[in-house]
Amino acid sequence: MTEAVATRKKPAVNYHRLFERVALVLVWLIIIAVFGAIMPRSFLNWGNFSIMFASYAPAALLALAIIVPLTAGDYDLSVGATLTLSSCVIGVLNVWAGLPILLVVLLALLAGLVVGLVNAFFIVYVRIPSLVVTLGTTSLMTGIVQWMTNSSTIGGIDNALIMAVVGGRLFGVPYAFYYALVAAIAMSYVFDFTPLGRRLLFVGRGREVARLNGIAVDRVRVGALVASGVISAAAGVLYAGVLGSADPYSGLNYLLPAFAAAFLGATTILPGRFNPWGAIVAVYFLATGITGLTMLGIPLWVTNVFNGGALILAVTISQLTRGREASDIG
Amino acid sequence: MMVRVRLDLVSFVAGAVLAAGTLPAFAQDAEAGVERARQALAVYQEKPVFKAPAEPFDAKACAKGKRMLSIPNSSANPFLKGIIDRMKLVGKELGLDVVEWENQGQPSQWVQGFEYAIRDKFDIIDLISGIDPATVAPQVKAASDAGVKVMTSHFYDPSDKQSPLVSSSLTIGFNEIGKILGNWAIANTDGKANIILVVSNEVPPTAPLVRGIKSALADNCPDCKIAQEINVGVTEWATKIQPSVQSAVQADPDVNVVIPIYDSMSQFVVPALRLTGKTGSVKVATFNGTPFVLDFISQGVVDMDIGESLDWIAYATIDGHLRDACGLKSPSALNVPFYIFDKNNVADAGSPAKFDTGYGDAYVAGFRKLWGLGAE
Repeated sequence: MTEAVATRKKPAVNYHRLFERVALVLVWLIIIAVFGAIMPRSFLNWGNFSIMFASYAPAALLALAIIVPLTAGDYDLSVGATLTLSSCVIGVLNVWAGLPILLVVLLALLAGLVVGLVNAFFIVYVRIPSLVVTLGTTSLMTGIVQWMTNSSTIGGIDNALIMAVVGGRLFGVPYAFYYALVAAIAMSYVFDFTPLGRRLLFVGRGREVARLNGIAVDRVRVGALVASGVISAAAGVLYAGVLGSADPYSGLNYLLPAFAAAFLGATTILPGRFNPWGAIVAVYFLATGITGLTMLGIPLWVTNVFNGGALILAVTISQLTRGREASDIG
Repeated sequence: MMVRVRLDLVSFVAGAVLAAGTLPAFAQDAEAGVERARQALAVYQEKPVFKAPAEPFDAKACAKGKRMLSIPNSSANPFLKGIIDRMKLVGKELGLDVVEWENQGQPSQWVQGFEYAIRDKFDIIDLISGIDPATVAPQVKAASDAGVKVMTSHFYDPSDKQSPLVSSSLTIGFNEIGKILGNWAIANTDGKANIILVVSNEVPPTAPLVRGIKSALADNCPDCKIAQEINVGVTEWATKIQPSVQSAVQADPDVNVVIPIYDSMSQFVVPALRLTGKTGSVKVATFNGTPFVLDFISQGVVDMDIGESLDWIAYATIDGHLRDACGLKSPSALNVPFYIFDKNNVADAGSPAKFDTGYGDAYVAGFRKLWGLGAE
């Protein structure tokens, strides 16, 4: 009898969990269907989706950058400023100093690495909360960027970068999207199939437990922060390629949508865990909503309501389906 | 039944005759509108000519020992920084000490600027391009009471209701700029403009500027239309303009002009057109003369940009403010001419383009003569 109850309590397929895993994807498909029904010609065409996939690629990469330190239990608020720094390094060194674009891209990624190391030094070794440190480095980088660009947008970035990011297309989708896709595949492999990914998760779930289990907690955290710096710098490279120019102000605006996507993504695919595919789905779910609303000619303040509302609603539904158990995430 | 068929036939024939008679008239009207638009643009395509804003006066005697604190909307804005740097140079020659109140666009910092000007006994506070006197009304009053004259420049459109607290205002014709943009769209689509407007309604100049665009369309091209007006807050330009323009040009494939009313917006319009494959087929017209946008014209991704000479603005601001400070009648407008840059003349702006290049220097000799100074 007891055995029978136990069996009933643990069905072979947990439909609740399964539903939770695909809920966001389903909602995404529903809003595509709704916008498609309203605007069959302009919304439901491949051109529309291919452009959306490419233009949100920097945001997708930024969301991927954020989830690495989040998984290890650290916030990195400096990703938006790192994106700006990287794209402005490209502008200043390529357009003003005339350095070759390939070298400049490497230097931009190097800048991201340095930012990651600086963040890691203060967070891991000096033991200042990550929120405070990355807020500080955001302001620091914003000032440096304004100084090095004279607060001006720099146009005329080497056409080779523009071609490499949005010039070429595969299945009609500009390359930018595939760079984000490759990053998601790589991260998903590391997160799910390597000891490093497991260590990252353990560190995030309980530093002390992880340390007692012999995991080099500090090294993992440093690695996560450096990875986030480099990936955000790569997002900056994509951003410079998509725009064809370097803007000293705009990158910071990607911070909140990227965080929204990271948290929204943690409610899907692998609910309760920051995961790369969830982040990608979340970015394009939000992008689809914004694109559809804009095509309908709805005022843009609605998109902010959509962004915020979608995040709160998704996280709430996820919590309710899990019986309001304590979340694993911060 | 027969009667009805006949009547229908008669009305059809009558309608056809009427249509045949009026069609050419419509066509003529449309052509005349396009011609009017072209004529209206001509003056902005010539090198700007100096027109004296008021009677000559002894600027050196007036400026002697006077001090002016210039408070820009934000010191991070290179356009405003450029004007103030040039005002310092012009002021130095006249004996007017021009000081910039460096700030990052925060109202609390503007308030500190007022307190500093009152404490340090400045003669003039210049609110340049963006600070609405209404947002710092108590400070404007306190400064006026303390004998510091508060003036605005490059902020109000002549049609705006101006704050009664300021001593004088040098207006700029945002409405006129709107008309140039509207007429340019008409002239460059042969009267078939189907426009996407990108605006920021929170910025005060937007309203008169957009009114100008609409009035040009109404006057010279009733068939032209605004397909979509996209309102994006300044802090959201980077995240909202590109996807919105992409969606708008895809939703309406007949769109042939995008007007981002401030040219820094165009950095997000250009990639939108590039991604949607519309570069070249959809024209981009804008305003501000920012160097990187002039470079976009050289690259063929933007078609026109209306600019103003910063140096000219600096001379005109000093001229107007000094007149007010010395009790003379100050001109009501800056009187700095607008100039259209397009692919034919953008090379004059330098490569890479610079602020203040390509407008000619008619104003230098003009103002020097007006102020009773010798040649440079």
